[in-house]
Amino acid sequence: MDLALTESQEMLKSAARTFMERECPRQVLLDLDRTETGISPEVWGRLARMGWLGLAIPAEYGGEGAGLLDTAVVYEQLGRGPLGGPHFSSAVLGAQVVLECGTEDQRREVLPRVAAGEDILALAYTEPDYGWGPESVKMTARRDGTDYILDGVKLFVHDAAAATHLLCVARTGDGSDPTAGLSVFLVDRSEPGVSVRIMSGFMAGLCEVRFDGVRVPAGAVLGEPGTAWSGLNRAFLKAAPVLCAYKVGGIEAVFEMSVSYSQTRVQFGQPIGRFQRVQDHIIDIVNHLDAARWTTYEAIWKLETGRPAEASVHLAKAVASEGFYRACNSAHEVHAGIGSVRNYGLVLYTKASRSLYNYLGDPKFHKRRLAHALEL
Amino acid sequence: MDFELRYTPEQEAFRKEVRAFLEANIPPELEEPVDPANLSYEQYLMRRELGRKLGERGWLFPTFPKEYGGGGLPMELAVIIEEELDRYGLSLPPYYNTGGTLGAPCILVWGTEEQKRYFLPPILKGEVRVWQLLTEPGAGSDLASVKTLAVRDGDHYIINGQKTFVGSLHGADWMWTIVCTDPNGRRHENLSWFMIPADLPGISMTPLDLLTAGGEGGASPGAKFTVYFDNVRVPAFNLVGGENNGWKVATTHLELEHGGAGSIRRNRIVDRLIEYCKTTCRNGQPLSKDPDIRDLLVECYIDAEIGRLFNLRNYWLRHTRRPRTYEGPQASLHRKVSGLRIAEAIVKALGPYALTNDPAWDPSGGHLEVFHRASIVATHPGGTIEIQKVIMARRIGIGRAVREEAGTVV
Ligand SMILES: Cc1cc2nc3c(=O)[nH]c(=O)nc-3n(C[C@H](O)[C@H](O)[C@H](O)COP(=O)(O)OP(=O)(O)OC[C@H]3O[C@@H](n4cnc5c(N)ncnc54)[C@H](O)[C@@H]3O)c2cc1C
Repeated sequence: MDLALTESQEMLKSAARTFMERECPRQVLLDLDRTETGISPEVWGRLARMGWLGLAIPAEYGGEGAGLLDTAVVYEQLGRGPLGGPHFSSAVLGAQVVLECGTEDQRREVLPRVAAGEDILALAYTEPDYGWGPESVKMTARRDGTDYILDGVKLFVHDAAAATHLLCVARTGDGSDPTAGLSVFLVDRSEPGVSVRIMSGFMAGLCEVRFDGVRVPAGAVLGEPGTAWSGLNRAFLKAAPVLCAYKVGGIEAVFEMSVSYSQTRVQFGQPIGRFQRVQDHIIDIVNHLDAARWTTYEAIWKLETGRPAEASVHLAKAVASEGFYRACNSAHEVHAGIGSVRNYGLVLYTKASRSLYNYLGDPKFHKRRLAHALEL
Repeated sequence: MDFELRYTPEQEAFRKEVRAFLEANIPPELEEPVDPANLSYEQYLMRRELGRKLGERGWLFPTFPKEYGGGGLPMELAVIIEEELDRYGLSLPPYYNTGGTLGAPCILVWGTEEQKRYFLPPILKGEVRVWQLLTEPGAGSDLASVKTLAVRDGDHYIINGQKTFVGSLHGADWMWTIVCTDPNGRRHENLSWFMIPADLPGISMTPLDLLTAGGEGGASPGAKFTVYFDNVRVPAFNLVGGENNGWKVATTHLELEHGGAGSIRRNRIVDRLIEYCKTTCRNGQPLSKDPDIRDLLVECYIDAEIGRLFNLRNYWLRHTRRPRTYEGPQASLHRKVSGLRIAEAIVKALGPYALTNDPAWDPSGGHLEVFHRASIVATHPGGTIEIQKVIMARRIGIGRAVREEAGTVV
């Protein structure tokens, strides 16, 4: 047993940390937070040049072929920022969907551009009846000669405003089995009939995506029409722990902020960290941190070593989402007034913890799946 | 025992009078914006106008003595005014005025007769709007350590320092402010309160960019500021409650702020949530029929009912002048912690819908999104969750040699 990172992973981690400190100091992150996409062309270009948009993409498709653990190591550092924008949606989730569902030709065509940051993918999966199971996809694609016509609304789509291409999941066949008949369409965002609108609220980068009679050729379907679910499911299982690692980074940052504030903020003649009620909050945060960290990394290890990983992934996603949410609440208690001042930075994490709470399924969804995986 | 607010024919007649008055004097544009940060100056002025009209009749501060501009009314009639205003989503006063609602009782308890005659009528009649200025960058929970300094200079004091997290949108007339009047004095024996006209030379302010500015109870401020005092000359007459006696005055102020005032209002967000879940369909059925959501709704309802009863009890204790110990901070604590629980339950029940105020997709009209942000921020104003617990413990008689008394309130 060895729970440490390898030397090269340590180097990757420190490179990512240095990158975040140099390129994405607090003020840059606050400015990015005010944009619709959460990212600027400069920062996106730098992520691409570092090779981090190709980490989870095999070398034969233009990526780094680095594997999930290396990817997670970098995403943990991005989460510490927290750096918003479409990196996860495109370079991890989107790329995995193409990898798992697409044909060899499609992978060769799409993935190198994603790895280079030239194309940006967003997965248009969830709908007004929000959910991440196969039964939640109700939108249908109608066959018209050799083309398909897409009609419908996708809602709370992460990062569509930044995307060049949408991976739209729709039904091309019916039947009583919700896992049957699903297809993924690769749609250029500039196609007539596609409209993307950022949704307002206490969340970042979530969009409404409308498809109004969008005509796409049969070749836009990734792989065999109607068979996408198993590939989607594999892509979700591989991408989810990377999202968890991002949350681990977020919790870690919130933990460090809270510790250092509790050591320097003096009330009643002593650092507030001396008060046991404040200590309780900080201990809650570190417990969330370690629970999220180790469930996440064990799930990734299982995936990378080809072990059965499903239960672990659901465990990690439930723990990390809830942990990030509650760690932010606790950090607000530790900081009191100053934590609510936007420029202080804590609010960036709080917003991320809410935005990402439901991404790829909320804790309840994953607990249900976990119960199923445990054959309860 | 009787939990029902019962009304005599005379009281019902009074209700009719109040209702007719409000119908005639509340223009539709006065309606509370969903996000208090969007209260326009025009809406604010309309609220002030309503306040003055209520004040003329003694209905703005209905239980305060008539001789100072209050209504001299018994609790039963004050309740009726509150109930009728509540139908419009308003409370007393119908605008942010914490320096009035908390300062006026302090002046009544601690002011000289002359000060009562000078300061109370404009507040009680709604002619002035007052902010409360307590917090400083270095003094939040530890209020007694404020550093803003007032130094005597003939008939005046000269004030220097800084207050933060204070105020509201659209300015104030007066600032009810706690300062240090003896930097070398003993803790709790070196503080004083001033009523400071906001237009004095040397006062300036900058806005804070907050997640949201609400949470003090009553009408929401909509914004918060840092206020700077640079050699501000304030008449010595404006020092209320005696030099270096400010901590005693503060006990009255804080008792009320910590929930001791009580309230007869319900938790509207839970009503809204239940309504939302009954009327919004997902997967072909109302959300309220989903067994998981039902459980969450019931939990929220229970929290709301407990909160309502704590507040109702405190209102009764205050207006029947019964002794209190920990009840004020208990209500405040419950409001804060149940706010966080309810916000999380809403996220669990509604998913990302809980966080959006997108006009096309938010059937709550923005209320749930505002509530989510407010639930986080509202845990701090008027004393944090931890401080409410500290006070409760002292009042229960644990944690200190001498059991702490509740502050004097009116
Ligand atoms: C929206 C909003 C509106 C506000 N409005 C006003 C206003 O109108 N006027 C005004 O004067 N102020 C106002 N405030 C300030 C508010 O009263 C303070 O934020 C609050 O009292 C806490 O002070 P602090 O923020 O400095 O936190 P701190 O006092 O620094 O607290 C930091 C942490 O230490 C804990 N802590 C401190 N002391 C103890 C202790 N003895 N035991 C255990 N834990 C402890 C706290 O609970 C908290 O977790 C407002 C604040 C907000 C956020």
